[in-house]
Amino acid sequence: MKNSNLRGAGTVFRYTVQQHYKTPSVIIFLLILFVIAVAALPLMTLFSGEQKESTETGIRTLYIRNETEYPLDTAALFEDARYHDLKLQETDEEDEALNARLVKEPDAAAAVMKMETEAYYFTITTRYAKDCEVSHGDAIALNNVLETVLHNSLMKALSITEAQEAIIQANTISQVSKVSDFLSGAEETNATTHVMANVVYNYFILIICMLAMSYIFQQCMEEKTSKLVEMLMVSISPTALLLGKILAVTVFIFGGLALIAVGFVISFLITRQISDLTTIKEIAVKLLQFDPTAMNLNGGTVVLFMICILLVYAIFAFLSGIVGSCCSKAEDTQQASLVVVLFVLAGYLASSFAPMFESDAANIVFSIFPVTSMFSAFPNFVCGKIGMPILVLGLVIQALTAVLLIRIAGMVYKIMLLYRGGFPKPKQLMQMMKEYKASAKVNTGKEDSHAV
Amino acid sequence: MGFQVTELYKKYGDKVVVDHLSFKMDQPSVYALLGTNGAGKTTSIRMILNMLAKDGGIVQWNGGPLTLQNCNVGYLAEERGLYPKNTLMDQLLYFAALRGVPRAEAKKRINYWAERLEATEYLYPKQEGRRPVKPKKADQLSKGNQQKIQFMLALLSDPELLILDEPLSGLDPVNTDLFKSIIHEEIGKGKYLIMSSHQMATIEEFCTDLTILNRSKTVLQGNLADIKKSYGRINLFVKAEQELRPIIEAMGITVLSNVGFSYQCKVSGEAQANALLKDLVAKGITLIAFELREPSLHEIFVEKVGETHEEQ
Repeated sequence: MKNSNLRGAGTVFRYTVQQHYKTPSVIIFLLILFVIAVAALPLMTLFSGEQKESTETGIRTLYIRNETEYPLDTAALFEDARYHDLKLQETDEEDEALNARLVKEPDAAAAVMKMETEAYYFTITTRYAKDCEVSHGDAIALNNVLETVLHNSLMKALSITEAQEAIIQANTISQVSKVSDFLSGAEETNATTHVMANVVYNYFILIICMLAMSYIFQQCMEEKTSKLVEMLMVSISPTALLLGKILAVTVFIFGGLALIAVGFVISFLITRQISDLTTIKEIAVKLLQFDPTAMNLNGGTVVLFMICILLVYAIFAFLSGIVGSCCSKAEDTQQASLVVVLFVLAGYLASSFAPMFESDAANIVFSIFPVTSMFSAFPNFVCGKIGMPILVLGLVIQALTAVLLIRIAGMVYKIMLLYRGGFPKPKQLMQMMKEYKASAKVNTGKEDSHAV
Repeated sequence: MGFQVTELYKKYGDKVVVDHLSFKMDQPSVYALLGTNGAGKTTSIRMILNMLAKDGGIVQWNGGPLTLQNCNVGYLAEERGLYPKNTLMDQLLYFAALRGVPRAEAKKRINYWAERLEATEYLYPKQEGRRPVKPKKADQLSKGNQQKIQFMLALLSDPELLILDEPLSGLDPVNTDLFKSIIHEEIGKGKYLIMSSHQMATIEEFCTDLTILNRSKTVLQGNLADIKKSYGRINLFVKAEQELRPIIEAMGITVLSNVGFSYQCKVSGEAQANALLKDLVAKGITLIAFELREPSLHEIFVEKVGETHEEQ
């Protein structure tokens, strides 16, 4: 590809970006995305009940009806600063009498503890009157403390020490490995984390690809639908026009992602204020059931992540460029989407099943073959399933695929610029490419010597 | 030197759409590409500009291949449009930037052409009462006014070679005159101009040389004045106050049409026309008009295209 062939790509890029961000609907869409990102973690925290407990309470009197067969050890309750002055009264009153009492005493709450003997579980129901001095938050906080009270009471009644309890509740981490791996001391991430890493990474890629696809289709058709193609072709080569547009879409996509990332940072800071979860790990484990520290994550992997994402984006963008170039009108995008979606799904499904094989050979193949390596290579690397050389090989193959695709995209864009029929069948497109190559040879021997 | 097309050839499958077209412009002038619908005019232009791959032939500018780098081309395509939702000024500046025109210079040129094409009001924001009115977007303009902007896009780079494909189609008489005056100006500036049109009168007004295409083949080519001269003065127009058809036909002259006592005739040459005139005068017939002239381009076109239709 000659440099002169890319002349004007920068101008197309600037113009496309400028026009995109001048559109009010785009600004509104970005604002909505930002608000959703900012609100995401705090809302998840609130819905999961992980919010920070208040240091004060409106409860002055607590009535407890203990229907379990174990005596209560209420020490934990009075150790909590909020309940130093609490007036605690055990009662046998039925629900109706208790409710009536709560209506009369606005600073009181009632808790009923029950044991289901058949299924072996306990329930604690804490109640308070409507429109009184006790808030819902106060009741939740009290309930949490009562859980501890019940737990301690059971431990004491059954004579179980803290050490014994810790032993019984200890996690079991199981691993299967070859003798060679065992001797080399290679640490493997467990299968659950591997699957989760795949799922999270693949979802991220799917979002990027789908966004890129629709934007690029739109951009590829813009000149055709506005009948500007011929006027533009005396100023710029088709490859430069396509490249400028794809670069602009890159800014839309990654600009949007950066905005979401900023939103999430703000979201994290807000979450820290309203909950007891103070680290990303805690938030990930509690809210997403996913432990990021179980993977090989460090500064280097963040850089690798960026490279992988950019390569994946480039491949999908250029593929979308090829398919989008075949669209002449809005209806054609349905068929075009199907082509790209099938390609994406093939890679996505294959790489989603990859961790289940638990086979080194499968991991290597999935990490090298371009369609699957876009989804598998990075998660396999961070989960210790492949080494750096295989990852680098996978990335080099991806880069070569991207270069090949942009060359094909430029050619298809040029061939299809003046085409006004329906979405071409693969055979028809191949025939057109063949004829184009033959004509190019007649012209100058090089199809890229873009004369005007 | 100049512009030269040699043996330009294109086929789709087995169908030849441009059959070895050759022409050249040694010096700045206006060249016309004429033809019926589907004759291959637009395909030829697209190949000249390398939008369409050639199956054969060479296009040269000053002895070398015509490229973006060595030739400043302005092109008004037959299929033309604008970005519908973008402001006109943005689009004009974009096109100027693509052609390498610096922004300040581009603004100057836009201003000049906007005034020249009477399109200033669409490009700049203005005050309507207390409210500022935003500059227009392309989809807010009529077809004719959009065509003015498209013409500006073609002219912005001050091209050496200007290719206009059906430049006057769809314009009202006022704008047609406006466009014509600008085309005359560009010719006056010594530019190479290639025009394609169905409007023969327009072509006749501007062009010096031409090629007539019919069903991909060149059926007539050369200097317009020479072509007309080669036909000779064979078109005779006679107007009188009485019926003349029997007298004219008795002289062996073909009457092509008549309205009242006005007759369009075809003679074999000046001698036959003179003989008719002598006969009419001798018969004491009062003549209102008697004009012997060369055929119009329209007549030549119809004749040439008709001939090839008959041959095929």
